[in-house]
Amino acid sequence: MAETKYVGKTIRGKEAPRHVSGRGNFVDDIVLRGMLHAVILRSPHAHARIAKVDAEAALNHPGVLSVVTPADVQSMTRPFKPGRYAAGLTKPIFEYATAVDKVRYVGEPVAAVAARDRGSAEDALELISVDYEPLPAVVDTRDAMSPTSPPLFEELGANLAWRGVLTYGNIEAAFAEADQIVRERLKIHRYSSTPLEPFACIASFDASTQKLTVWVNAQVPEVIYDALREALGLEDVRVIIPDIGGSFGQKIHLIRKYVVITSLLALKSRRPVKWIEDRSEHMMAAGHACAQEFDVEAAVKRDGTVLGLRFKEIDDVGGSVSTLTIHFTNKLNNLTNTYKVQNISMEGYSVVTNKCPVVPNRGIGKPGMCFIWERIMDRIAEALSLSPIEVRQVNLVPPDQFPYTTPNGNVYDSGDYPALLQQALKSIGYEKFREEQRREREKGRLLGIGVVVGVEPGGRNAARDLAIFPEMKETPGSGGVNGATIKLEKNGTVALFLGSPNSGQSHETTSAQVAADILGISTEKISTSTPFDSDLAPWGVAAANSGNNFHLYDIGAVHGAATRLKEKILKLAAHVLDAAPAELTIENGTVHAPGSPLKKVTFAELGKIAYGNQALMPKGFEAGLQTTFYYTFPHADTNLVPGSDRKVRAQFTFSAAAHAVIVEVDRHTGKVHVLRYLIVSDNGVVINPRVVEGQAYGSAAHGISVALGEGFIYNSEGQLLTITLTDYGKSSTLETPRIEIEHHPVPSPFTALGQKAAGEGAAIPSPAAIASAVEDALRPLGVKVRELPLTPEAVWRLIKNAQGGNSKFEIRNSK
Amino acid sequence: MIPATFEYHSPRSLREAIDLLSAKEDVKILAGGQSLVPLMKLRLAKPKHLIDLGRIPGLNTIKEQGESILIGALTTHAELESSELLRRRCPLLPQTASTIGDVQVRSQGTIGGSLAHADPAGDLPAAVLALGAEIKAVGPRGERWIRTEDFFFGLLMTALEPDEILTDIKVPVLERARTAYLKAAQRTSGFAVVGVAACLKLDPAGGCEEIALGITGVTDKTYRPDDVETRLRGKKLETKLIEEAASGVCRNVDVLDDINGSKEYRTHLARVYTFRAIEAALRA
Amino acid sequence: MRHNISVRVNDRLYEEEVEPRLLLPYFLRENVGLTGTHVGCVIGECGACTILLDGKLVKSCLLFAAQADGKSILTVEGLGQNGSLHPVQEAFIEHYGLQCGYCTPGMVLAAYYLLSKNPDPSEAEIRVGLAGNLCMCTGYVQIVEAVKAAANRMRQA
Repeated sequence: MAETKYVGKTIRGKEAPRHVSGRGNFVDDIVLRGMLHAVILRSPHAHARIAKVDAEAALNHPGVLSVVTPADVQSMTRPFKPGRYAAGLTKPIFEYATAVDKVRYVGEPVAAVAARDRGSAEDALELISVDYEPLPAVVDTRDAMSPTSPPLFEELGANLAWRGVLTYGNIEAAFAEADQIVRERLKIHRYSSTPLEPFACIASFDASTQKLTVWVNAQVPEVIYDALREALGLEDVRVIIPDIGGSFGQKIHLIRKYVVITSLLALKSRRPVKWIEDRSEHMMAAGHACAQEFDVEAAVKRDGTVLGLRFKEIDDVGGSVSTLTIHFTNKLNNLTNTYKVQNISMEGYSVVTNKCPVVPNRGIGKPGMCFIWERIMDRIAEALSLSPIEVRQVNLVPPDQFPYTTPNGNVYDSGDYPALLQQALKSIGYEKFREEQRREREKGRLLGIGVVVGVEPGGRNAARDLAIFPEMKETPGSGGVNGATIKLEKNGTVALFLGSPNSGQSHETTSAQVAADILGISTEKISTSTPFDSDLAPWGVAAANSGNNFHLYDIGAVHGAATRLKEKILKLAAHVLDAAPAELTIENGTVHAPGSPLKKVTFAELGKIAYGNQALMPKGFEAGLQTTFYYTFPHADTNLVPGSDRKVRAQFTFSAAAHAVIVEVDRHTGKVHVLRYLIVSDNGVVINPRVVEGQAYGSAAHGISVALGEGFIYNSEGQLLTITLTDYGKSSTLETPRIEIEHHPVPSPFTALGQKAAGEGAAIPSPAAIASAVEDALRPLGVKVRELPLTPEAVWRLIKNAQGGNSKFEIRNSK
Repeated sequence: MIPATFEYHSPRSLREAIDLLSAKEDVKILAGGQSLVPLMKLRLAKPKHLIDLGRIPGLNTIKEQGESILIGALTTHAELESSELLRRRCPLLPQTASTIGDVQVRSQGTIGGSLAHADPAGDLPAAVLALGAEIKAVGPRGERWIRTEDFFFGLLMTALEPDEILTDIKVPVLERARTAYLKAAQRTSGFAVVGVAACLKLDPAGGCEEIALGITGVTDKTYRPDDVETRLRGKKLETKLIEEAASGVCRNVDVLDDINGSKEYRTHLARVYTFRAIEAALRA
Repeated sequence: MRHNISVRVNDRLYEEEVEPRLLLPYFLRENVGLTGTHVGCVIGECGACTILLDGKLVKSCLLFAAQADGKSILTVEGLGQNGSLHPVQEAFIEHYGLQCGYCTPGMVLAAYYLLSKNPDPSEAEIRVGLAGNLCMCTGYVQIVEAVKAAANRMRQA
């Protein structure tokens, strides 16, 4: 059988034809008879008590059928229990779908209206009167750390809501042995991947069966399923997820509040209710990636070897405790990056502030971890007068040590980091660039190069957080589980049902490729399923729309299901053809037996037998040709659940990449031009090159944009100043550079096909790459890059301050 | 997202539009809608009446009239960009229009709308100011021409009376003029953090016979930096002189401070772009 | 007061009675029933709602349906003839010029419009032509490649 007729190739995408024709099926495209339209009233204050809510006038407005106020939410719903994301919370703090007696961030949902049309709902919203008692806003992280800052949660007392330390190895010995200690303080800001389609949901309650059905563009069905059952006390819940217009981790967590609010409106009005979020709402309240401050120390030997790394991080988690520690715990995934350091200590502080709560936006804390590593590597190079390349090379895990266990328990399945680095240096023309840089510096041009490496972990282990929170009451589960179902129809085509929703990563296409190779049928004969339907889909805890999980759990499940189906097909065919299963071959949907070209049977013929002709089935054969397979990672034993040593497999597979970027800085405006951006990427066996490349380009483009200017800005009163994509600074075609990618796959020995993750990918090292390159360009001016974003003004200030804060106004030699 | 309710009027003549404007309370003019409609969707503007000028014929012509070119208020940025006549006879306008927003914005946005709206970071206000253009306002009391230096009052405020409609812009045919429009553009929208329109004329010896600059994005309205112009007029435009003159571009100006630039940075950018725009015009 | 409007969409005439404040993308999605035109923002900054109005590339979300009375609109559903896809659409599929698909209708129309004005655009010209259409997934790289490929194919046709 042709083992890799499809895997490894870029085939025509299955999702693309509907999207280019405008026939995608997004939540807002769905219409239910009698459906109402909802809008949400949000807090204009960053911090305030809610004294009174009067929605009488709104309820009486023409066209309005239902209103939900905080009183309704409190009486009709139960609060969300702090889940895995809130690990570390010492007192139970229950958050409802809306604010109840206090608002803690601008944009926090307070009330909602459902009316016959959207315009009337918005008109009615203006009639809801809310009496707020404003409280001082806690905005600055340092202020939030102070015990005297006005507490957001009285039950917690302080806004420093969590602190913790985790150490692996012997950090004191490492620091004692060091030839030098290198220090740095770093900062990254709040940003978001801002999916183009904001949140959207429709809720429909069937009172006769007490069944609630929701259509929602959420990434993790389990979060919605659990939220509805917990909050509304409903047992029978169906979650349908059609096409999603981008997710990037934004549509996992806070979206559950809105599904509950919409469902409440549906329950009260006894009509289906649709809620479509506006862009400005999404910017204010859908969730942000965490702003983080790092205090880093590296214990190094003269040759650049890092004996130990210690860092302290302060996470500004915003106005909710429900995602208290995610940006810290996620660092366990790439804690040692691509390096062989044995001693590492991490100390975390989570402060709540009157800003939007943080959510698991693409990378979740891992870009921060990579930023720590790659900035400190440059700093070490400087301190020891080594090249930044040398310092990295000395510390990389050598290729002969895989599978490699990190001090915190990760098992890196495969990798060749020195080769990635070498290839990147070669392809970017590193030496030649250094010469060019020297020449051009004499003419006054500020060119710079940054070369960084980053590991991209993949495949969730639900037990990971036990390493930091062994006392977690709710068993978070362990490993991951997700399923796939494959059915050979009686006309010989194949239907494939994934256990996960789909939001642009071409899940339908790549899973069809895997199934096609195993079954020996063309991908064109395989139909795939979107929407996800929780009633029908074979889903488990790892059912999540994310490249991080899909490559392992969904592909593994498809592989398992297809393999099982193939066995069944061969068993039946062997009986029909009077041959042994081992002698059979499959080609293009036809099973052949040796001996004669006439000894063959098609999938369609087998289908007709399996679904309708008992006499032709072998004895004991289960009728039908459908299999379901639930995948768990088969090599999870080591460190699956952390023991007292706190070691745990944070994730199961490890892609990696080297990024090399060349920039030019306009010294007069501070503008950074990216001249070349190159990625050399190891994603293991690549199922569909264009898909993997697309993920790398997209995630790199976002990381570059984050580094160079996009981001959220709050004023001192907690008002969000960036509620439009324009003010936020999203990159268009004009601000996004060309990006190049080269594949350097090192297959995983542990996964079904050798595949590794490609999703968060380039978002992890790219901010560090830009920071490195800009600092390199400005080195002759004595500039150090420690903070993002590197907006033109920020760069201009770095230059100005490095020159003693007194730059002569001289604009000649400008580019 | 959905604006507050309003009544929509689509007059077929200028007369009808003016009558409506006078007759109705709480009324706004709709031209390209690129500035007004967003405000309405955010419910920051809630006019009770909208007068759409889009069906009035003859408001988007570009024609030469002696030593001037008369441009109808509803001429889109795209039409300015592609006008052969303007490219030959008043290139500063197409140069400026081509930097506005994106293709879609240029298809819809109009010069009349842009000037009447008077966004402090608008590109066309800077260009018409540098050109010394004149703006025609028509109302119930008749019509009048307003010089651009008398037109821009302040943040979103112009000399237009509430019952007047901007119908035409008259720009000079530029003989031997060298022009350029440069700006430090905001990401995403391309809006000017700082924008400089430069219009120069050199005498046969290469000295600066005439210079006019329009600065936008720096303060609450577009302005001519008299200081800079005075220092350069009549002189030979050496690099050092331009640099010295450019350093005065924000003298006596209340420079804006916002998320796109602090006062200090904006002042600096204004100097840089003034220098660069003059240099670019020289090379034109 | 509602208005009677008559709008040609993809060569078919629609006569509807609309509220003044009905925005054009909602007219297309709800009255006409074509949901390919998407809404991604409020102030007309993302381009997801891009259509062609009387041959001009515009952001439909900044227009009221009433303004389209007597005019002719092309949406993404109107590209392609008799069930086969337009070369621009084919190129987007072949070169993976999309991921989630939400920006795609607007992007495809912007590319179509660009190529109708400039059949052999440089990369810089492609980027300028698509600058009004934001994409959060692709980083634009494969979109630019798709447009180049479409240009080549259309020139050879």
